[in-house]
Amino acid sequence: MSNVLFTNVRILDGSGALPTPGSVLVQGNRIRSVGRSAAAVPSAGAIVIDGAGATLMPGMCEAHTHFSWNDAATLAGIQSMPLEEHVLWCAKVARRYLEAGFTSCVGAACAKPRLDVVTRNAINSGQIPGPRYLAASQEITVPGGLGDETLPHLPFPEFSFGVNVNSADEMRKAVRMFLKYGVDTIKLNLSGDNFTPDSPADTTWMSDAEVAAAMDEVRVRKKRGTAHARSAASVKQALRHGIDVIYHASYTDEESLDMLEAAKDRVFVAPGIAILYAMLHEAEAFGITHAKAVAMGYQHEWDAAIESLRAMHRRGIRVLPGGDYGFAFTPHCQNARDLEFFVKYLGMTPMEAIRSTTLYGGQIMMKGHELGVVKEGYLADLLLVDGDPLANLSILRDPKRLLAVMKDGEFAKMPEIESERAWGRAA
Amino acid sequence: MADVQFTNARIFDGSGDLPFTGDVLVQGNRIARVTRTGHGARSLPVQGATTVDAAGAFLMPGMVEAHTHFSWNDQPSLDAIQRMPPEEHILWCAEVAKRYLDMGWTSCVGAAAAKPRLDVVIRNAINDGTIVGPRYLAASQEITVPGGLGDTTQPHLPQPEFAFGAVVSGSEEMRRCVRMFVKYGVDTLKINLSGESITGMASEMSQFTQAEIVTCVEEAKAWGKRVAAHARSTWSIKQCVNLGIEVIYHASFTDSETLDLLEAHKKEHFIAPGLAWLINTSHHASEWGLTPEVTRKMGYHRELEAAVESMKALRRRDVRILPGGDYGFAWTPHGTNAKDLEYFVKYVGMSTMEALLSATAWGGPMMRMGKGQLGHVREGYLADLLLIDGDPLADITVLQDKARILAVMKDGAFHRKPPVRAARTTRWAA
Repeated sequence: MSNVLFTNVRILDGSGALPTPGSVLVQGNRIRSVGRSAAAVPSAGAIVIDGAGATLMPGMCEAHTHFSWNDAATLAGIQSMPLEEHVLWCAKVARRYLEAGFTSCVGAACAKPRLDVVTRNAINSGQIPGPRYLAASQEITVPGGLGDETLPHLPFPEFSFGVNVNSADEMRKAVRMFLKYGVDTIKLNLSGDNFTPDSPADTTWMSDAEVAAAMDEVRVRKKRGTAHARSAASVKQALRHGIDVIYHASYTDEESLDMLEAAKDRVFVAPGIAILYAMLHEAEAFGITHAKAVAMGYQHEWDAAIESLRAMHRRGIRVLPGGDYGFAFTPHCQNARDLEFFVKYLGMTPMEAIRSTTLYGGQIMMKGHELGVVKEGYLADLLLVDGDPLANLSILRDPKRLLAVMKDGEFAKMPEIESERAWGRAA
Repeated sequence: MADVQFTNARIFDGSGDLPFTGDVLVQGNRIARVTRTGHGARSLPVQGATTVDAAGAFLMPGMVEAHTHFSWNDQPSLDAIQRMPPEEHILWCAEVAKRYLDMGWTSCVGAAAAKPRLDVVIRNAINDGTIVGPRYLAASQEITVPGGLGDTTQPHLPQPEFAFGAVVSGSEEMRRCVRMFVKYGVDTLKINLSGESITGMASEMSQFTQAEIVTCVEEAKAWGKRVAAHARSTWSIKQCVNLGIEVIYHASFTDSETLDLLEAHKKEHFIAPGLAWLINTSHHASEWGLTPEVTRKMGYHRELEAAVESMKALRRRDVRILPGGDYGFAWTPHGTNAKDLEYFVKYVGMSTMEALLSATAWGGPMMRMGKGQLGHVREGYLADLLLIDGDPLADITVLQDKARILAVMKDGAFHRKPPVRAARTTRWAA
């Protein structure tokens, strides 16, 4: 690994501070120095990247990632992909996330038991390129809840998108199995979802005894619990049981907001609002007209979610981007769109939106002391962006504007060399 | 895909002629023009093509590996290969596929996979661009009999998932097995006709009944598939010729009748002996407990001698002998496959020219893509090309060195681009 010096860049350090012109030296996998002036820096044998005024910022973090969702329109469509193809799909998506500027992703459930674990291990061993990754279990659910895709005449567990448990003992066994496989997080579907009309978003399905058994095992092995929690009751249930990563949190009441605020130093909320928006406005090609989406409850949930999330943002609760990309109507790698939604609907400033994917990203990856900010000694996860994301967040989802992606000191996407475009010399 | 013009290359075109200096123009995925230059001759300039100054490097057709096992995972036993879970196994296959292409093998003929769908899935993923890899023909698992090569079940662990191969007994089980693999989408049915000394059943032995073999071939042909056989024993080689099994792997033990048969049908068969396995098992596997004494007792030294004699005889009779085979064990790691060309020169007595042709001109038809597609640097052929630093005709071992393989092009696109000399230290971002 050679050293790299970025000169003549606008450093957007991800902490919330305003950008400054300067240069950044990467040695090995870490940021060695950050120069905050336009003065020339000795390159000392490093590869020099002249940024020509481009923005250098931390790699982004996706807080709710499903590599194994395969851009199908239904859960059954995801589940019917055979195992071998599914693994290769995950590997391909992992590479695409990295190239799209997501140098970290928090796995939020996978579609077959070992997909996330195997993908994470393959990334870490260097076998495939991909972001830093925390591997999740399948969704754990109860019969009839979100993720139970078995049919009456096809009751086989392999048909099910999630793992069905029914009682604290069964929960314990399922959680232990996933911990044996090596997951970083256990995903519990506490609430329903309007995607599955028989178990809508404002319903809450799991018993406290089941959740307690799961979190008991999680704590024994020092892992993390995450929750699909759309209903107010499920948000409170998650907090009661010490689940720190709360997905969706669409419906809140005063009590749940107070509980979230009280736990704001440890809690992360990743609402995944893109899917709500897409179902309402962009899913017609897949048979879900606006009227149908409204009938499914999506307008009601959208209105509630915007209000809840605005309140959370006001109370200083960390709200992070990412979530439920990987459906036909929310294809993978458009994830940075969440930042635009945050500004447009939640009242964040562009700087706050950036911070939600950089500073907070490092924290949700459990590496807040060394990841998510352009700072001396921090891990060298960096993006070189053609343009100013603070002026226009949408450039972050334009591959042409992402000039370079570096993860752990190595380029996942190299800046193009002018001279290589037309001419190569063999020997 | 930008057009590419290679200039100033030593062109080995696969015809058997000595290389000449010239230019090759690639347009789209095909070779559009091959021009001799030198002595004042020059090719016409082309507009819009990326020019690669080969600076005298050796330009040759991409190589064809005739007996490939992506799913063998560089382990010392069949059982150890089989124990890899399917998720890891498919990623392994994808990694190995890329490694073959890195090393200049732009085409590979699958010769059996360790789990039912590994080869098929890898071929499809290569073809749809999910992963990078050579052109690939997907094989079934090895079809074998209880107790034969590939049956790694144990008395107390009889589950088929424990078996390396697909174990059948009787014609109807064979038929069902072939149909299952055809349903999965294989190009080739692999059948283990003979034993394999390391498994306890000697290589001279033949394990299937003729009726079972006939069913296999009949069923495969009904679906338009190809059959390839693990055939070390004399009887099994004859079965291949008599029943029309096109691809004969190993062919170690021959008698004059077998040689005559093969010679009489030489246009209908390809032989890939996989000498690397015999040579390295006999002499270079001590680290894994297979000392020369052990492997001599197993019979591998005798088999190596017999195989070398058979290949010499087949070469004299102009039977096509192709490189590749059984790379993917601990002592024959993936990526070292070009050693086969060295073995052909050293053991079989081929000239370096013949060895090079075996990997190119003879490999082309092995890929079954029709006439005029693969194996030559010639106008209209698919642009599978290698640029080599050095002359394999003078030193066949340069093909084993990744650093000497300057560039690999498959289907008109660079898999490995030639290194660019300028601008190594400064990159302009915008």
